[in-house]
Amino acid sequence: MQPTSSMKEEFLKKWQMGLQIYRPLIDNTSVSERRKAIKLSADVAMASLRKGTTCWSRALIQKTATEDNFLVRQMLSGIKAETLINKKLPKVMCHRKIVRRSKMILRRRQSRSAIEEVAAKARKLVKKKTQGLRNVVPGGEFMSNDVLLIQETLDYIVSLQTQVNVMRSIVDAAEAGSERTAYYLGKLKFAIEDG
Amino acid sequence: MSNRRSRQSSSALRISDDQMIDLVSKLRVLLPEIRERRRSDKVSASKVLQETCNYIRKLHREVYNLSDRLSQLLDSVDEDSQEAAVIRSLLM
Repeated sequence: MQPTSSMKEEFLKKWQMGLQIYRPLIDNTSVSERRKAIKLSADVAMASLRKGTTCWSRALIQKTATEDNFLVRQMLSGIKAETLINKKLPKVMCHRKIVRRSKMILRRRQSRSAIEEVAAKARKLVKKKTQGLRNVVPGGEFMSNDVLLIQETLDYIVSLQTQVNVMRSIVDAAEAGSERTAYYLGKLKFAIEDG
Repeated sequence: MSNRRSRQSSSALRISDDQMIDLVSKLRVLLPEIRERRRSDKVSASKVLQETCNYIRKLHREVYNLSDRLSQLLDSVDEDSQEAAVIRSLLM
């Protein structure tokens, strides 16, 4: 799956809505405050594309709400905002210490062939990398099921690609537009002065 | 009792090879680097997972940089100027 143009359009609209909300603040704040506002609106816009159907989007909305509750409520429709912000994420399902301890016990009881050793090492590596994935996908810590984790990852990546794609186009256009305008204004001024 | 519980969560952690192969192939489609490499079915699952992490982090950085560029742009432009109007029409 790829970012579709309808996804991009929807993202842009929602992002613009978020920036509108910030508009009165944007003119009077520092660069870093403004950057944070821009990024938070972009994140909520991206998450709302999924309308609360994926774990990562719910986790991202909750995370953003802790940083700017007002923005999230404004950007999502009223009732939905409440349920999404307050919805309880599932408790962490896997108790790693217990699993680790029982695995150690099992291991002591078995003797393994070389092939089994290699396979075991490969599985361990995959487990480690999977854990790394949990750290970068929002809400990953709640996805003890690996299948769910990878499904969520796939969706999250497509959404991120949409976000980056649209933001890049807008920022490039804004920079170019700003330069062009300044350039033409300069030319105009020069022409006027020249007479 | 604790054994049963740990065995259950342990099986939730392991997924079947077929499921893994299917999901990994889907991930490969999305990841630009792996896609570009010459056809090699032997790309290991752990490699794909690592590349996925790297790619996601790269996308995060890009979002951050784009937000930064935009905020710098808004800063550098005089609020009442034509340039500001152009930018606002794009953004708001």
